[in-house]
Amino acid sequence: MLKIENLTVNFDANSALDNVSFSAEVGKITTVIGANGAGKSTLLRTISGLKAPKSGSITWRDSELVGMRPEAIVRAGVALVPEGHAVIPELTIDENIRMGALFRLRKAKSDVTTAIAEMYELFPQLADRRKAPSSTLSGGERQMLAIARALVSRPEILLLDEPSLGLAPLIVKQIIGIIEELCRKSGLTVLLVEQNANTALDVADHGVLLALGKVVADRPAKDLRADVSLREAYLGY
Amino acid sequence: MQTFLTALFTGTSHGAIYALVALGLVLVWRGAGLINFAQMGQAMFSAYIASTIINHHINYWWAFIVAIIAGGALGGAIDVLVIRPLKKKSGSSILSSPSMRDAIPVIASLGILGILQSAAGMIWAGEERGFPAPVSTLGLSIGKRAMPFTRFDIFVIVLIWLILIATTLLLNKTSVGLAMRASALNMEVARLSGIRTRSIRTLGWILSGSLASVAGLMVAPATNVSPNSLDLLMIIGFTACVIGGLNSLWGSVTGAFILGLTISFINIYDAPGDVFLGIFAILIAVMIFRPSGLFAKGKARNV
Amino acid sequence: MFKIRRNASIAIAFFVFVFAIGTFVGPYNQGQIAVALTLFIGVLSINILTGLSGQLSLGQGALMAVGGYGCALMMINAHLSMWLAIPLSLIASALVGLLLGLVAAKLSGPYLAGTTLVLALAMPTVANKFDSILGGDTGLSIDTGMPPTWLSKVMGDIAIEQWNLYVSLPFAALALFFAANLFTSQSSRRWRAVRDHESAAALVGINVERTKISVFVISSAFAGVAGALYGLRGLVGPSVFAISLSLSLLTGSILGGLRSIAGAGLGSVIIVFLPDWIGKVIHPFSLSDQVTNYLPAFVSGLLLVLTVVVNPSGLAALFAKIFRFSRVKR
Repeated sequence: MLKIENLTVNFDANSALDNVSFSAEVGKITTVIGANGAGKSTLLRTISGLKAPKSGSITWRDSELVGMRPEAIVRAGVALVPEGHAVIPELTIDENIRMGALFRLRKAKSDVTTAIAEMYELFPQLADRRKAPSSTLSGGERQMLAIARALVSRPEILLLDEPSLGLAPLIVKQIIGIIEELCRKSGLTVLLVEQNANTALDVADHGVLLALGKVVADRPAKDLRADVSLREAYLGY
Repeated sequence: MQTFLTALFTGTSHGAIYALVALGLVLVWRGAGLINFAQMGQAMFSAYIASTIINHHINYWWAFIVAIIAGGALGGAIDVLVIRPLKKKSGSSILSSPSMRDAIPVIASLGILGILQSAAGMIWAGEERGFPAPVSTLGLSIGKRAMPFTRFDIFVIVLIWLILIATTLLLNKTSVGLAMRASALNMEVARLSGIRTRSIRTLGWILSGSLASVAGLMVAPATNVSPNSLDLLMIIGFTACVIGGLNSLWGSVTGAFILGLTISFINIYDAPGDVFLGIFAILIAVMIFRPSGLFAKGKARNV
Repeated sequence: MFKIRRNASIAIAFFVFVFAIGTFVGPYNQGQIAVALTLFIGVLSINILTGLSGQLSLGQGALMAVGGYGCALMMINAHLSMWLAIPLSLIASALVGLLLGLVAAKLSGPYLAGTTLVLALAMPTVANKFDSILGGDTGLSIDTGMPPTWLSKVMGDIAIEQWNLYVSLPFAALALFFAANLFTSQSSRRWRAVRDHESAAALVGINVERTKISVFVISSAFAGVAGALYGLRGLVGPSVFAISLSLSLLTGSILGGLRSIAGAGLGSVIIVFLPDWIGKVIHPFSLSDQVTNYLPAFVSGLLLVLTVVVNPSGLAALFAKIFRFSRVKR
């Protein structure tokens, strides 16, 4: 279980976190929704070690993540797909994927090969153009590549920061579908941050609503989706 | 014709040495975002160590290997002892502005250069020492014809091309190389991929230091070894990077060969005194028309 | 207006203070103080360029050389009085600064550093190219001449070192006055904006390129006066304005504090007097020549690295922090 307790992070005036606590169940999809500037990205960046919190704790399978370096957190099985199709455009598609598996080469060389092959099965669009620079990809393909880069490290929990941002609905559907399948079939734990609340709540088991850095609702996704007044108050629709 | 060929060969052989210096500078630049002005100081220091070994009648190649290791070790030490603590200070007010964040480490490297040079002076009395070449530096003749190049020229060109190719292969074909490129291009994504970017950066410093040491040993037979003997090489190598574009590895190497040839032709056809004016003219021309270097892709790293 | 009056009184106080010290110390230290005053102006030129606008120049010594040669040519060929030639020499360096600034404004950090560094190295070649005018490797001899008789009447016999001090002092005080006004002026706010947020500055309508060029010109003018005074110690030539001069100016600027006038003062005192201080400290230990010769350079390199790692804002900022009395502008 990913457990976040009393997490406070100072950032710009908005998008800070104020005493946030919730947890994400293993093997389930938990989504964090909220308006722009609610602190959703800050939350994921803090879990990944890119930002240091002022106070509070983040534990994954009972080990404390606060104070660990980002690369160590990845090695502990917590992988982040940051906002905005985070791939390295100068590298080829194959290199971007391999990059995510580099740290496992020494210990599990054969599994790395398998994992890379699996990524191409999962995202066939990428398989045809392995040697092409990833700058040639479309926005949706880049997002897939970013997810593949995170997945190839065989994480136990995947943190996704607004994967639907700027993408066509059809592609969003494909990407979210793949994530859902991974969760249901292979037991991947997912923490999905979304501004697009409907899409997220449709696939999620559990939902956390964040507003101005505070948790205002923490309940099953179904309930949250049904609560019209809450959504109108915090999301505007 | 003979003069022309001599200029051509000397230029190529010197250009190859400059290329090595430029390569070392680019490796650190891309990894750590600074120009390491101490680089040839490290090389000078290791050349003194090598010369001490050779003076004890130990084989040249042992000295060669020790110098390469020493250059790399100095590079790694600078990263760990100076650059890492510097990066931690990023909260201080003067480092809050991006232009200063880039300038301060450069100034630190100038300080390190001063330390290395004066330390060499104190240890080795600042004496100018001759330095042997592994093969003959005298004019080569095949049959009765005197060739416009020496055995050493050929040795330098071959050795350095091998190193350039090996470095390119290392960067492009190996996992470590991928990690180095990824860390240089986008540190955050690299870290999120589990790459230990700090160690990778130190590796870049080590590699750069070793390359610089090789370059230092290759010019030492001509320049001798003294605390300041490699300053010129540093400046030319740096200018090569600026001309070629710091972000392009092969751009800087090309810049180095351009400079090598320019200097050699000025030396032979004009006067050695004009060398710096020539370099300055080329530099200014490139900076006016291509402010980020001849081979820069897009905009230069915004500093 | 208040600021100008305040800055003027600081400059006058500075003048009186240094004048008084200069009267009490011996000729050797008078000479050292004269050099420190000269380099103070040179370090100020770096603090204006790098501290205020964020452009790093490694060839400030070359701009000093332009001022030095300008002054020498005016004194030797046009027989101008030194008091006229020194201020005029800043025009020469400002013009060169303008040309350099036109290129520099387009360049980002390392490219600018490289161009200025090579400029400094090409300087001796220029001196040799125009051998007949610039005197080649030997250079041109100029000096501050004899002190005027009225001064000798008032002060008694004046050593050449003391006279050098009295020549440098008014210019250092003036430089202090102008720099203080610059640091507190409206335009320096624009410079800082360019330094800290170049693209944001461009967005609010600041002409980044023109700003960078004007800072370059002003900084070069300071360097020019420093160069003229530096040459007036006896010689204007390539060996006087070596690359090491540029580097020691930079060292002084960092050690003292890149962003303040007090920093420039502290820095220039340190670079001039450090070898003396070290000499005093190691005197009781009979160290070999090879150590004593290189020790000052070693210590100043060490200080530079330590300053950058431990306290990059320099001594002035450290003192300001300690005394909570800050004239240091961020």
